[in-house]
Amino acid sequence: MTNILVTHADEPIGRRVIKNLYHDPDVEVIFALGSGPPPRKFDAYLAGSDPRVTYTRLDLAKHRPVRDLFHSIPFRSAEIDTAVYVPRHGAGASPAAAPLVGGLSERTAESRLLLQHCLETRTIRNLVAIGSAFVYRLPPGNANHLSEDSELNLDPNVMPEIRAWIDCDMIFHSEVHSERLRVVLLRVPTVVAAGGYVYLHPSLAGRPGSRVRALGFDPICALVSDKDVARAVRAAIKTPVSGIFNIAGGEVVPLSLLARWTGHWSIPVPGPLLGMLDAAERVLGIDSRLGAGGGAQLRYGFTLDTERAAAELGFRPQYRIGLARAGDGALRLETASV
Amino acid sequence: MSEIELPTPIEETANPLTSPGRALGRDPFADLSDPDPFEEQLDRLEARRANLAVTQHRARKPVANAATTKRLNVKPATRPKTPGKSAPTAKTTAGTAARTEDDLPNRDNLARLSQRRWSTTPPLADIELPPAKGLADRLLNADERRVLAALAHLVEGDAPYDRFGYSPEAMKTAFPFFHALYRFYFRVQSEGHEHIADEGPVVLAGNHGGLLPFDAAMAIIDVALHTDPPRLVRSVVDRWAGTLPWINIFFARVGQVVGTRENFTKLLNDGQSLLVFPEGIDGMRKTIAHRYRLQNFRVGFIEHALRARAPIVPVAFIGSDDQSPILFDLKPLARKMGIPVAPITPTFPWFGPLGLLPYPVSYRIIYGEPLRYHERFGPDAADDSRLVRYLANQVRRTVQLLIDRHRQ
Repeated sequence: MTNILVTHADEPIGRRVIKNLYHDPDVEVIFALGSGPPPRKFDAYLAGSDPRVTYTRLDLAKHRPVRDLFHSIPFRSAEIDTAVYVPRHGAGASPAAAPLVGGLSERTAESRLLLQHCLETRTIRNLVAIGSAFVYRLPPGNANHLSEDSELNLDPNVMPEIRAWIDCDMIFHSEVHSERLRVVLLRVPTVVAAGGYVYLHPSLAGRPGSRVRALGFDPICALVSDKDVARAVRAAIKTPVSGIFNIAGGEVVPLSLLARWTGHWSIPVPGPLLGMLDAAERVLGIDSRLGAGGGAQLRYGFTLDTERAAAELGFRPQYRIGLARAGDGALRLETASV
Repeated sequence: MSEIELPTPIEETANPLTSPGRALGRDPFADLSDPDPFEEQLDRLEARRANLAVTQHRARKPVANAATTKRLNVKPATRPKTPGKSAPTAKTTAGTAARTEDDLPNRDNLARLSQRRWSTTPPLADIELPPAKGLADRLLNADERRVLAALAHLVEGDAPYDRFGYSPEAMKTAFPFFHALYRFYFRVQSEGHEHIADEGPVVLAGNHGGLLPFDAAMAIIDVALHTDPPRLVRSVVDRWAGTLPWINIFFARVGQVVGTRENFTKLLNDGQSLLVFPEGIDGMRKTIAHRYRLQNFRVGFIEHALRARAPIVPVAFIGSDDQSPILFDLKPLARKMGIPVAPITPTFPWFGPLGLLPYPVSYRIIYGEPLRYHERFGPDAADDSRLVRYLANQVRRTVQLLIDRHRQ
């Protein structure tokens, strides 16, 4: 039996992971952390005198609350053996200019603190983290195939959000060969959920609205369903391997099509203007995602090599992504089991 | 050691080792005092095979271990080796399988080793002729429309794009236009299609010429029309092309890919056919005085072909160097503008962008016999830089001989 800690459980991917784990007979206790109140969907999980799910509100980026949690009696008595790091990604996530915590971005601070406490807590033996596939350096081209061995984007001018992902990635990567803790890092591309919600894409995440795109470029975007991400997390918990794995679904679409599917309307802007727009946003402190960093992700696309995940985690995508007619007759982005 | 002959893609009269190509000049390996890297590699392979045989004999002697026997018969799940990078790379701690007999090149196990998931099209006989819609379809005859319909099967299910951005719809739009160029403008004649296998990975290596890559476009049309099941040749384009607005989209939608290591590996592992121009940009910027004289070949395609166990088909394009003859290449200007070539041709820049259009030259495409280096060397040979350079020179010489022979 496994006892699992899940971070940011109140956000969409976190909720999906909790739901998937809740129905797993091998999981005994789920310790869910979130920054907001428990989602309404958790009412069923939290009901009863001795629920399997415990929900705690916590700011994971701050040292003292995290330390207090890991030394608390309820946490110790739960005997957590696996931690699942789901990054902040929902509507509340501050994207481009992530708040600084002690000089670090929020995401970096969270991953650092979580890893540190996992290493210090004797009972925790496994750490599964969700990272982003936007950490890779994108070579010029409409669609590039990237494997886990591809280079990371260490360009100093990379946009802050991607920089935070890279820092987070490298923090977990540093312990991949640890004998004390089994670390699995899942690099996921744009995550699509039913209803047309898109997460973890540097320029499309968030509420529908206007976005800019590079004129003359329409990069291919790799997609994965949120349900497949939850399945990959479950596979990583159960399979005794550590390392870094690309997780992606079967569909790829151009950025313009994805923007249309998700209700965004995109404004094509010539390449040189993109950089200026981004610089102006930074100077003025605007967090509109209009410039979207002006980075390579608006020009160059990528797809992911998932053979390692298939071979070692046994993960293959099961959900297809596409437009489907919803109950009200409107076409919406949906995910459906194959 | 048994005597192994070098591949002889050209007729006996033109021995690539003894008679240097006309345009290549002296054979760089003809008078080397060092041992031949080709022979050295063969010696090493023989020695390894002998050592392995002794080891297996010792291992089997005490008891007939079923697990050992089984392991020897199973191809270990290994990933292709990649050169070291400064950036962090991922490694898994799952156990790595021991080196086995299968790692050695052996004709008997080649077929089993090469059993991968191919991305293939159905035979033309199985294709139901789609109804003609629009002007584009009416420009093609029934067989050509069947070819186009077959190429749509390269994407999985009803997906609009494949993993490299190839779109059957875009191909359907572009094909009639390039087919008209193929038939009426460049009047392409070709021979040697039988050297392109019906399935499995293959690397077509040819000479590059002309300011715009019509040689690649003609090869794509030619191979698609002359293979059954039709094969879509994926032309490997320079990274610079990936930075060009609109052009990068067009290239991707008609199946072209940027030449990165991962793209190469994935496509060959999927059993696709790649067209490479190992001269790179140097082939494009040849002046009229150097036309049909091959520049230095890059070696990456040899490494990938060895790792993916793909044959290399030498291809000679005759006509491409005449389509836009470059009188001068203003290199300082090109460097300043950040472009690979700043050409002066009889029509460019005098007629503006229209001056870049190719002249209506007649094209000839000749496919040589495949060079099956992968059958002689294992995937590890890709790490031997001297051997790889040697093999690249062999391919270069073969292409040059094809050009020289067919230009006469």
